Amino acid sequence: MLQFLSRLAPRSPWIYRINAGSCNGCDVEMATAALIPRYDVERLGCKYCGSPRHADVVLISGPLTLRVRDKVLRVFDEIPHPKVTVAVGVCPVSGGCFRDGYSVGADIDHYIPLDVIVPGCPPRPQAIMEGVLKAVEVWRAMIEEGICSPS
Amino acid sequence: MNSILEAVFAVLIFPGGLFALALGLLLKGSDRKLLARLQRRVGPPLYQPVLDIIKLMTKETLIPNTANELAFRLAPVLGLTGVLVTAAVLPIGGVWNGVSGLGDLLVLLYLLPIPAMGLMLAGGASSSPYGALGFSREMCLMFAYEMPLIASFLAVAVRVGGATGSLFSLDSIIAYQLHNGPLLFDPVMMPAALALIIFIPGTMGAGLFDIPEAEPEVIEGPLLEYSGPLLAVFHLMSAVKLVVVLELAVALLFPNPIGGGVLVNLVWHICKCLVLLMVSVTCFRAATGRLRLDQGFSVFVKYTSPLALISLGLAYMLR
Repeated sequence: MLQFLSRLAPRSPWIYRINAGSCNGCDVEMATAALIPRYDVERLGCKYCGSPRHADVVLISGPLTLRVRDKVLRVFDEIPHPKVTVAVGVCPVSGGCFRDGYSVGADIDHYIPLDVIVPGCPPRPQAIMEGVLKAVEVWRAMIEEGICSPS
Repeated sequence: MNSILEAVFAVLIFPGGLFALALGLLLKGSDRKLLARLQRRVGPPLYQPVLDIIKLMTKETLIPNTANELAFRLAPVLGLTGVLVTAAVLPIGGVWNGVSGLGDLLVLLYLLPIPAMGLMLAGGASSSPYGALGFSREMCLMFAYEMPLIASFLAVAVRVGGATGSLFSLDSIIAYQLHNGPLLFDPVMMPAALALIIFIPGTMGAGLFDIPEAEPEVIEGPLLEYSGPLLAVFHLMSAVKLVVVLELAVALLFPNPIGGGVLVNLVWHICKCLVLLMVSVTCFRAATGRLRLDQGFSVFVKYTSPLALISLGLAYMLR
């Protein structure tokens, strides 16, 4: 019974957005995925939440500039386990067009484990929604293998 | 002894407890679904709030180092207990007359602010600046929306008391309406009814009055630092609170049963709650945006309270 209930948990993924120095392009697409009726994420049970402590799925955009790095890591630590990370756009993976910038250090996955990567500059809302669905699958696998604790 | 058992049954199973929790989650789900349909979205399934609660139960609980841990853990439990007791006091027309001696209109007046108190305690105990902001916003708004609530309670009491002789008894309010027709269609009581209907989104923080938990402004205010099972208890509290305020308005304005069996009346009661929810919360939420705190305050003090006071004056003169 308890196992059955915990298998239902990934059907309510609450989304939290972290802007790690993004140019706002990906954030606009994320807001589009959230707000425009055509790309309704709420039918998947998603809800955008304002507080990191309510979140399950974290959408990170931006190349992780030096200035926000410590703050992003601090906010990421405040998200309760189990959590799944989705990198939105090419910036978190490679730095994108900012990769040679003076303020961009190492890629995000040196600091934060990325579970799903949604490439694009910016990715389309459909791609972001598919990324969220993939994240839900990762979460489901985490529950079935019993690895919900911090790695 | 028997009356104690009856009261325990009322608080834990019906009409408080399990029944109120189930109805509250159903109402929350239909609110989200209806809002989605109004915005031409597909929307979440009707049972989405249940999934949310299950999900939150499986999450980790984080408590900030600087928080007062006892108050932080106590606040959601306090709020949920308060609303469950309130749900047990409220009668359902044609189904449940309330436990005799458990409470009347005056007790309700003391029980209704308890969920807001729970939120205020949560905001204060979480030691977060946003929590403190949410605390102060919740308190300001509470002072504002209590005024039309008290005035419309008094109007109902005077109207009913003039005819039956007992001022604050919920039983006599129901009996009066069964005999003389619902107060909703009583021309003297219409302004007070309007004030009571405006009170519902005020206390639920919907539409114009989404001030204490405004997500873009104070990041969900008092709930900011909560996670896991404690947050789930807060969500349950808000669901039962929705049931309580809707049932309160139904009991005071339109408790008349449709006739037939108890089950038919129960379904009729739930339909009334759904219609009221749609009018006062869902459509209101879909049509309006958030006000500033001072504007929200003045909506209740300047415009809503006088409505209820007009009814009170008329009821007093026609006594």
